[in-house]
Amino acid sequence: MLTTPWVCRSCLSRIARPLIRRQLRHQSTSAASESIPPALLSRARNIALEHKTLTEKLANGFDTKSAKKLGEYSSIVRALEKWDKANESVTELTSLIHDSTTDPELRDLAADDLGETRIDLINASQSLITSLVPVHPFAHLPCLIEIRPGAGGSEAAIFAGDLFRMYQAFCNHNGLRTSVLKYENINGTSEAGIPLSEAIFEVETENAYGVFRCEAGVHRVQRVPATETKGRTHTSAASVHVLPSLQENSAAQEDFDDPESDYYIDIKEVRQEVMRASGAGGQHVNKTESAVRLTHIPTNTVVAMQDSRSQSKNKEKAWALLRSRIAQARREKREDEIVAMRRSVIGVAKMGRGDKIRTYNYGQQRVTDHRSGTTVHDLDDVMAGGQTLEKVMDSVRSWLMERDVEGLIAEEGDTN
Amino acid sequence: MPRIPTALLRKARTIDAFLPALLAPCRDLHTAQNELRWLREHVEKVAKARRAKRDTLVKGALLGQLVRERAKGKPLQYLLGTEYFGDLEIKCRPGVLIPRQDTAASVTHLAKLVRTAPNLPAELRVLDLCTGTGCIPLLFRHEFTSNRKDFDLRIVGIDISDKSIGLAHYNLLKNERIIQARAGMTNFAKADVLADPFGDLTIGAPLPVRSMLNHNKWAPFWDILISNPPYISPSAYWKTTTRSVRGFEPKLALVPPPKSKFDDRQQGDMFYPRLLKIAEEVEAKIVLLEVADLEQALRVAQLAQKLDVFDGIEIWRDEPDVSSSQPTNEDGFHVYGEGNARSVVCWRSEGGSWLGKSSSPKPPELLQDAPEETSSNSYWPPSYYQSNEVNFNAMPRFMWKRHMGDQRGKPPTRWRTPKTRWREPA
Ligand SMILES: C[S@@+](CC[C@H](N)C(=O)[O-])C[C@H]1O[C@@H](n2cnc3c(N)ncnc32)[C@H](O)[C@@H]1O
Repeated sequence: MLTTPWVCRSCLSRIARPLIRRQLRHQSTSAASESIPPALLSRARNIALEHKTLTEKLANGFDTKSAKKLGEYSSIVRALEKWDKANESVTELTSLIHDSTTDPELRDLAADDLGETRIDLINASQSLITSLVPVHPFAHLPCLIEIRPGAGGSEAAIFAGDLFRMYQAFCNHNGLRTSVLKYENINGTSEAGIPLSEAIFEVETENAYGVFRCEAGVHRVQRVPATETKGRTHTSAASVHVLPSLQENSAAQEDFDDPESDYYIDIKEVRQEVMRASGAGGQHVNKTESAVRLTHIPTNTVVAMQDSRSQSKNKEKAWALLRSRIAQARREKREDEIVAMRRSVIGVAKMGRGDKIRTYNYGQQRVTDHRSGTTVHDLDDVMAGGQTLEKVMDSVRSWLMERDVEGLIAEEGDTN
Repeated sequence: MPRIPTALLRKARTIDAFLPALLAPCRDLHTAQNELRWLREHVEKVAKARRAKRDTLVKGALLGQLVRERAKGKPLQYLLGTEYFGDLEIKCRPGVLIPRQDTAASVTHLAKLVRTAPNLPAELRVLDLCTGTGCIPLLFRHEFTSNRKDFDLRIVGIDISDKSIGLAHYNLLKNERIIQARAGMTNFAKADVLADPFGDLTIGAPLPVRSMLNHNKWAPFWDILISNPPYISPSAYWKTTTRSVRGFEPKLALVPPPKSKFDDRQQGDMFYPRLLKIAEEVEAKIVLLEVADLEQALRVAQLAQKLDVFDGIEIWRDEPDVSSSQPTNEDGFHVYGEGNARSVVCWRSEGGSWLGKSSSPKPPELLQDAPEETSSNSYWPPSYYQSNEVNFNAMPRFMWKRHMGDQRGKPPTRWRTPKTRWREPA
C-alpha cells in the first residue's frame, strides 16, 4: 500500500536474494496494529513449542523431514521472539507511566520511549503475522505467462500485444530473464498495433511465479481504437494466465516422478501426435511441418506447439507447458476448496481467473486495480513496464497478503 | 496440382502481403504463416550478423527475394541452410538431399533400443551407407551417447557424392560438441554401394564399399548397418514426389540409376540386394533399411528372408515408437508403429537381444563353415589391416574362396562372430 507508514519491501528484492525470502516478507496490511489476533498468537506459540521439540529430536540424530520443518518454522519463531520482546517493553513502559510512585522525570522519559517502542511492536506484529502465512507452494519457481485476447475483436488482440510488451519491458527493467515459447499473430512480427492471438513466455528467474501470480485474470482496456473513425471509446479485454514453469532443471523436477506431486504426469495418459504430411512421406516430400500436439487424456488438456522448426524443440516445449498447466489446475482445484471454505466464514473475494482484475483507461490516463483498489495515473509508464507498474503489482501482493491473513484467522477460529 | 482457391488467397492477402505467394508451396495457410515467420526470423538473424560487420541490409528486399524463391518451390531448408533432425541442426546445401523427419524417427528409435542393451560389445561399430548430409551417423551417435558414456562408438558414413561427403564432414564439425564425437570415431568416406567388389575396377571410379574400408584400414566387420538409399522408381518419381523435391533435390539421391533389363520396380529396388550383400559381408547384427512404402517393405523383407541368415525381420512405420499400438501382421511380418511403412529391420545373433527380442542364440554347429580361430584378438590377421592392397593370403578361407569365384562350397549359414570382441556381461 502506498500510504503505509513503514517500508514495504519490494517483492523484487526477494528475487535477488531467494534464500532469505521469508525473512524479507514484511508486507503491509491495512489491519496494521500493535495487537495480534489471539488465534494467530496461539498458533505461533504452538509452532514455537513444536520447534523446540524438533530441535531436541534433531540433536539426537538427523532426519530430513524434521530438518525441513525446522527450517520452515524458524522464521516464525524468530518473529515471535521479537514480538515478545517488543510487547514486553511496551507493557513495562506503560506500567511505569501509570505507576503513581514513578519518579516524574523517569515517567517523561518513558513516555518519550513509548512512541518508538509502539512502532517496533507494530512492525513485530506485522512480521509475525506474515511469517505465519504459508508461502505459495509454487512461489519459488520460474513462471509461464500466457496472454490471449478476450472480448472485443481485433482491438482486444491489439491490447493483448500491448500487455505482452508491457511484461517484457518490465522483465527487462528488472533484470528478469525471459524466453518466448509461443508468439502467434497473423504475420509473425511482434510490432505494436498487430493483433496477437496467443503469446506464452517464460520468466526464467527463480521466484518469478511469486512475483507474477497476482497478474492472472482479466485485464480490461478502455480507449479509442486506432481503427475507430467516430472517436468512440471501446471497452475490450485480454486474459492473462500465470503458470508455474516446470522446464527442465527447474527446482520442481525432482518431483516429476513422484505420483503424489502436482507435477507428476503418467506418460501413458498422454497422447503425443506429430504433424505428418498426408501421402507418401519419406523421400517423396520435403515438408516443413514440425508441430507437436499433446493431449492429457484424463483431463482433456491439449497443448500444441509449432513455433520452432525443430520438432524435438516443439516436443520439449509442449511437455513443459503441459506439466505447468496440469500442476496449476491441480493447485487451483485445491485453492478453490480453501476459498470456498473461507468464503463461508469471511467472504474473501476470489482472485484472478475469469474475474476482471484491472482497468487501463487511456482517456483518463489511469490504471485501476480492482482488488487492491489502487489507482495510478502514469499509464504510459505502466505500459512501458516501469516503476508505476511495479507499484500496482506491489499493491496487489499486499492485498493478497491481507486476504491470506484473514483466511488464516478464519481457519484458526474454525479449529479452535 | 489443384489450384489454390481464390478465397484463400484473398484471406492470405489481408493478413500479410507476402502470404499469398507462400500458399503455392505450402498449400495451407497455417504452414504458410509458419514459414513466413521462420523466413522473417532468418532475415533478422542475417541483418544482425551484417550489422556486426558494419554492413547494412535492406531487410524487406531480402525477405521479398526469399519469398519469391520459396514460391517457385525452392525448399525452405535450402533457403535457410539447415534442417532439424532429431535434436540436431543439420546443414543443407543444394545438391545434397534434405534429411527427413521420418528417417530421424527410425534412427532415434533404433539408438534408444540399442543403448539400453546389456550385452553390447565394448566397441560398437555402425556403418551408414548413402549418408547424404551425414545426418544418420550424427543423430545415432547423439542419441546413443546421451545416456551411456562407457562406449567406444565407431561410426562411418559412406556416399558416392563428393558434395555429400564434404557436407557430412562439415556437419560433424558443427555438431562435434553436442554429439561427443570424440568418444570413439566418426568419419565419412566416398564409395559406391552398387559397385561389385569382385568386378573390374574402372580407373577413377569410386571404390566398392569393402575396398574402401580396406583402403582406409577400417575394420571389415560392422555391428549395425543403416541405410536410407535412393528407393524411388522412375514412375513413382513423376507420380509421387512433390514439385519441390523434383525441381530442387538431387535425383541421384532419390532414384537408382537405370540398368538394362530392369523394369521400373526393379530399378526402384536396386540398392537392397547390394545393401543386404554388404550386410552379410560385414557380418552386421542389425540392419535398418529405409523404404518407400509397405509394398517395397515387403519385397525387401522377403529378399532378406531368402538369404536365410537373419533370426528375425520386421517392419517399422513412420513413428515406430508409438508403444500403445500392437503390431499388425503383413504377409507374415510384424509391422510396428503408426504412419506409412518406413523401414525394414533385420537382426541376427546378439542383434536380437540388442533390440530387446528374446531370441535363443544359435547352436554352434551352424558355424561349421567358419575357419579356425586366429590367435589375435581380431578375426582378421594384422597383416590384413596393414596392406593397402587386398592381401589374399591374409584373408579368411571362405572369403578367399568366393573371391576366387569358387562357389562350390555352400556359403556359411551363419556369419561367424569373433568371440574375443565381446566383453562378458558383468
Ligand atoms: C536418399 S539419400 C539419403 C541421405 C541421408 N542418409 C538421409 O537420410 O538424409 C541417398 C544418398 O545416396 C547417395 N548415393 C546414390 N547412389 C549411391 C551409390 N551408388 N553409392 C553410395 N551412395 C549413393 C546419394 O548421393 C544420396 O546422398
